[in-house]
Amino acid sequence: MESVKIEICCGTACYLLGAANMMNIEDQLPAEWRDKVDIEAKTCLELCERDNLGGAPYVRINGTEIMSQATPEKLLTRIGELIEGAA
Amino acid sequence: MADLPLNGQNTASDLFIEMEAAQFTKSGQAACGDDVRFLTVEKENRHLVALSDGLGSGVKANVLATMTTAMAIEFLKSNIPTLEAVEIIMDSLPVCEVRKIGYATFSLFDFRLGGKARISEMGNPGYIHLRGTEEISPLKDGQIVSEHWPDREVRECEVDFRAGDRIIMCSDGVTQSGLGVRKDMKFGWRRSGVLAFARERIAREPDISARDLSHAIAREALNITPGGCKDDISCAVVYLRHPRVMRVLTGPPYYKEHDAEYARQALLGADHVVACGGTTANILERELGVKIKVRLADMKASGGLPPIGTIEGIGIATEGILTLGRVLSALEQMRPPEAEPAAARAILERMMRHDRIEFIIGTKVNESHQDPNIPQDLELRRSVVKRIAAALEKNYRKKVALNYY
Ligand code: FES
Repeated sequence: MESVKIEICCGTACYLLGAANMMNIEDQLPAEWRDKVDIEAKTCLELCERDNLGGAPYVRINGTEIMSQATPEKLLTRIGELIEGAA
Repeated sequence: MADLPLNGQNTASDLFIEMEAAQFTKSGQAACGDDVRFLTVEKENRHLVALSDGLGSGVKANVLATMTTAMAIEFLKSNIPTLEAVEIIMDSLPVCEVRKIGYATFSLFDFRLGGKARISEMGNPGYIHLRGTEEISPLKDGQIVSEHWPDREVRECEVDFRAGDRIIMCSDGVTQSGLGVRKDMKFGWRRSGVLAFARERIAREPDISARDLSHAIAREALNITPGGCKDDISCAVVYLRHPRVMRVLTGPPYYKEHDAEYARQALLGADHVVACGGTTANILERELGVKIKVRLADMKASGGLPPIGTIEGIGIATEGILTLGRVLSALEQMRPPEAEPAAARAILERMMRHDRIEFIIGTKVNESHQDPNIPQDLELRRSVVKRIAAALEKNYRKKVALNYY
């Protein structure tokens, strides 16, 4: 299976509204998920200027799926679903 | 500060003079008995340095040295003849109770861009003039003696100071380091030791900045002396060269149609480019077809600011307003870069290494920064950059240009 691609926005709005808490997300991944996830930091995803997406911080998953108001917990849950679902 | 049109070419042709000094205070003393002062007379394109070593050490010596450099710089600026200046200085220094003399040495450097430099010295180790690693002799070398103070000889030299040249001036705490404590250096490090050291450093690092060279010399003088600083150590270096240009792009242009031209500024005539702000980085990616990479390892070590990315072949990218705010406070309070979070430190260190800093400022306001949920007030980019420019000029003698899009 392809690894799950996570892009965490580190632009100003996202960073201040909680992306800062996701900087350590890699360390929180269970060992068996580590090589199945590919996590990257991104400059402003340009979603913050739109008001219909649910609010920063934003994370982009597998290139298309947008998670708004992301938290480490929400993100870990979603990563889990994608990995387990694919297994 | 100038609002200059940038064309990428006019920046490299003018010369920049870098004047820096490094000092260590004699162990156990509260104040350094040496003083170094710089002055740039912008209108005349003229650059002055005064380095003085006050008799003795501690606060008393400090007063003598500071009075000397303050007066000397003032007299140089007003073109008062050296002899007269020296007499006024000697006559006005407070006399030491014990020694019955008032005394401070000096080395003075006076240079107009495009002309010759004049160096006057009294009591300090002789200056060193290097072109690359080659030592250059003065065009003229003379002595003048005051009638009032017949035992004080002033050496006056005229020097052919060209692009790429360096002048090194120091207090005897440098040349006499090691004296009496090192068997292999009976007379201390001496001027010849400093000269050999400087040549060796320049051979290894031909572009070494005045700042780095002065620090290297002062540090070496300290290292030579076992058990701490025996005398105040001061080393000033003047380096004339083509300016190193750093360009900071920040914020999206007001009109989207200007994006392409704005992005092109990252490619023209700068040694280093920093993109400050997510949207800025995105514009560069889009317009120049470059990739910006943020390493996850950097994300963790970013110390309270969003992480740094690299723009292949061009420079670095950071977050915008938070990072700039941090850079501003460090510059205004003159905090050393080392203690700052990674992104601010990266920008500050680059600023220190460059002579001319050009800001390309996009003036579009980022709507998302007005979000009432954001836990702090975000200042306007324009005003932060203006204050950064002022601090760079005032506290770090950098040349700054601002250009708006
Ligand atoms: S700051 Fe995250 S989308 Fe703009």
